Amino acid sequence: MALPSASIESIKHRIGARTIPLSKESVGIAALCGFVSLLVLAPMMAVVMGALREGGGLGVGPFLTVFNSVAIITNTLLVGTGTTVLAVLAGGALALILARINTPGRELLSRLVTLPLYVTPLLTAIAWAWLGSPRGGLINLFARDVFGIPSLVNLQTPGGVIFVSALAYVPLPFLLIGAALKNMDPALEESARVHGASPWGALRRVTLPLVLPAALGSALLVFVQAMGLFSVPAVLGMPGGFNVAGTQIYRLLNNYPPRVSEAAAWGVLLLATTAVLVTLQSVILGRRSFVTVTGKAFRPRVLHLGPVRHLLAAGAWTYIVAAVVLPVATLLWAALVNFITVDPALMRFDLRHFRYVLFEYPKTYLAFENSVLLGAASATSVCLLGLCVSWVIVRTRSALRRYLDHVSMFPLAMPSMVLALGLLWTYVSLKQVPIYGTIWILLLAYVTHFLPIGVRAGSAALRQLHSELEDAARMTGANWTKTLRWIVLPLTRPTLIATWMLLFILAMQEVSSSILLYTSRSTVLAVAVFDLWEAGNVNALAALSVLQLAVTFIALLLLLRTRSQEALA
Amino acid sequence: MSSIFLAVEGLCVRYGPVLAVDQVGFRVDQGEHVTLLGPSGCGKTTTLRAIAGLETPSGGRILIEGETVADAASGRNMPPERRGLAMVFQSYAIWPHMTVFDNVGFSFRARGIGREKARAAVERALALVDLAGFADRPATRLSGGQQQRVALARAIACDSKMILFDEPLSNLDAQLRVSMRAELNDLRRRLGFTAVYVTHDQEEAFALSDRIIVMRAGRIDQQGTPAEVYRAPRSRFVASFLGMTNILPAEIAASDGSGPAEARLAGELVLRALDPWRDGAASSTGAVGFRPIDVRLDTAPSGAGIAGIVTRSLYLGDVAHYYIHSGPISICVHDRPHARLVEGQTVRWHVAPENCLILRE
Repeated sequence: MALPSASIESIKHRIGARTIPLSKESVGIAALCGFVSLLVLAPMMAVVMGALREGGGLGVGPFLTVFNSVAIITNTLLVGTGTTVLAVLAGGALALILARINTPGRELLSRLVTLPLYVTPLLTAIAWAWLGSPRGGLINLFARDVFGIPSLVNLQTPGGVIFVSALAYVPLPFLLIGAALKNMDPALEESARVHGASPWGALRRVTLPLVLPAALGSALLVFVQAMGLFSVPAVLGMPGGFNVAGTQIYRLLNNYPPRVSEAAAWGVLLLATTAVLVTLQSVILGRRSFVTVTGKAFRPRVLHLGPVRHLLAAGAWTYIVAAVVLPVATLLWAALVNFITVDPALMRFDLRHFRYVLFEYPKTYLAFENSVLLGAASATSVCLLGLCVSWVIVRTRSALRRYLDHVSMFPLAMPSMVLALGLLWTYVSLKQVPIYGTIWILLLAYVTHFLPIGVRAGSAALRQLHSELEDAARMTGANWTKTLRWIVLPLTRPTLIATWMLLFILAMQEVSSSILLYTSRSTVLAVAVFDLWEAGNVNALAALSVLQLAVTFIALLLLLRTRSQEALA
Repeated sequence: MSSIFLAVEGLCVRYGPVLAVDQVGFRVDQGEHVTLLGPSGCGKTTTLRAIAGLETPSGGRILIEGETVADAASGRNMPPERRGLAMVFQSYAIWPHMTVFDNVGFSFRARGIGREKARAAVERALALVDLAGFADRPATRLSGGQQQRVALARAIACDSKMILFDEPLSNLDAQLRVSMRAELNDLRRRLGFTAVYVTHDQEEAFALSDRIIVMRAGRIDQQGTPAEVYRAPRSRFVASFLGMTNILPAEIAASDGSGPAEARLAGELVLRALDPWRDGAASSTGAVGFRPIDVRLDTAPSGAGIAGIVTRSLYLGDVAHYYIHSGPISICVHDRPHARLVEGQTVRWHVAPENCLILRE
């Protein structure tokens, strides 16, 4: 990005002496902007360009094919809407129950409800497929053997896809709405009470409207992810012929010959939908800025309920059982049992499946190595890049900081399958940068996908750090690298470590973009799990996913020990 | 004796469309204490930060000891760490992850000087601010007043010729503020550093400064010694900011240039007032200002002065505040509360001409 000095001089000359000439800092900021734009915008543009390619030239053929697939469009919208409604209602209810009502055990429950964030939807879907498939599902086998009911549940249906996706996404609205509820000045509700509102009246007239922006924001976040979801519909929908945009993209690319333009057209459709929704959201919320979050720590008012509170606690526990305990227990059981059966007489427990995946299955070692490497590399890059970007946003008055703020949040609105498609298009054609087919293209996908988390965490850490602490270091003789090393890094370290661990866990589980970008040399754990699923090797799959979960939970324990979870919320 | 240490020439600082500092220029002599005084948002802190190198000027020049450290025209803006200044911040900016010693000795670390070599200087600085023996204390285990002293010690320890102060006392409680003010004065006399000091507190400015620069809306309104500025504020803004709260619109009669001028107020009332900023002999409209403390009251029915009715009487302990209406005008009076006036009472008031000032701007 370095501009030749002659052009700098000419720019200086053109803008005249009254404006600020280019300093080292502004050149650095411009370079950062260029890099982030390349990271975020290049794949988006590649998808759009790719979708317009037909035969040798340009055309709208791919779009016509897409618009003719009415069933898939309807299915995608159904999954997106259903998952969002279910997840936001459940997440909002849990936030209310655990933040504002005297529910027994709410401290512990609040921690447990976020656990599904760390269990990939792929594993939840696989476990629920074993539990609830129409014929071989454990619940159905059990019902048939014990009660003589032929088929109790069927999760390989649109309803099943929505149910399991919602289970996976409940923590997002829970965290966002919960934060809004906790950070609200209790005086707002108290004054409603003083002026004659009942407890429920205050909740309905004051609290809920104030929480609305957080609820809408989390709904948008869930909707974007659910619309571009691959893993859950792949496991619970595809076998029954139920396809959504995510699985369709996967099928089009695995077709021979791959129908890449058509896949890209699906990507554009997803992008366009989220773009419309993001615009709509900013129009709705734009003029209503609710400054209820003052940065002060409030002790939220707790509503004291009678015996009903035990019922509410039971509801929260039911969610945790359905989203974490049951899936993990099922996987663990399947990893240890000789084959899947409900007849206790036939069950034998040993470690043979672990032996198989550890010593015989050829992909395990490579996948582990790649996943750990990618997890560590992407977590480190995102933390550093996030800190740089947030420093410009929080600390400088650069004209580019608004742009940087917006662009670095784009990946939130970009389903990871679309991102992967864009990278595919970019680097298959860009032979000068030979990263296609290596783990570097996966790294690029992960860094782009997780950049918003890094920027948010960095901004949160820097906003807590009074800028005069940095100014004082400059005034006491430290240049900016020393200021960064001696003041900024030590003081933001707890947040950075917590963010690093979170990113490592998330990267270890990434499926949707990996499934499009991996090759046999660059396979990762989540892809290996999916391969075993497609091959029907269920016990080996269970053993491998138990190993994956073990790594995740060790990282999670380390994360909890750094005790900076609040920075992530 | 007066060699110029700092020169600020035509300084402008622009934040997007807002011109936070607009053509500010002043000089500070070696060893002088100059205070930038003004309400919040007047550009005083931005000016200070531009001198420090923490803001980039969009116009003008800054020279320290004759060397240009910032010049908008040539794009020169020397980074703060190379200007050889020290600064005390409003928030104290004590680094919470370091000990008191590491905070105070930071400038040595930044210059690559070892801890042992720095020890003597750090301990001397701590002794100067009465914190001897605190060196190994974690910075988080200090009271607000102690943090303020550490910030001061850090600024002294660098041995800078000039220290910049950004409202350093505004976070202290009233009592501590008064005692720190005195200590700061002693310290500067002993060490002889040049100081540029920013505050919105006129008392603090008067107590500490050799010279005061009053700022408003990014510009300098008036500069002079504390006594000059106090006695003869140049504009209504400076007058009211420095406690001259009775400012009454008036018609100023032409005067012969000697002695007090005559100011005709509404309702045929006349006050005689000094007119140090007279610009010509012609009569003009302006205002007349005087301080509530300079008004003399007389309760005797036949006394001299302007008659008025007490509309509000507030007892504040040391002093009583009265609001008095005389026809169309209303004034505020501060008086000893010995013989307290009651609301509705009729009094006579007058102000000596030497305590009254014609304000034209």
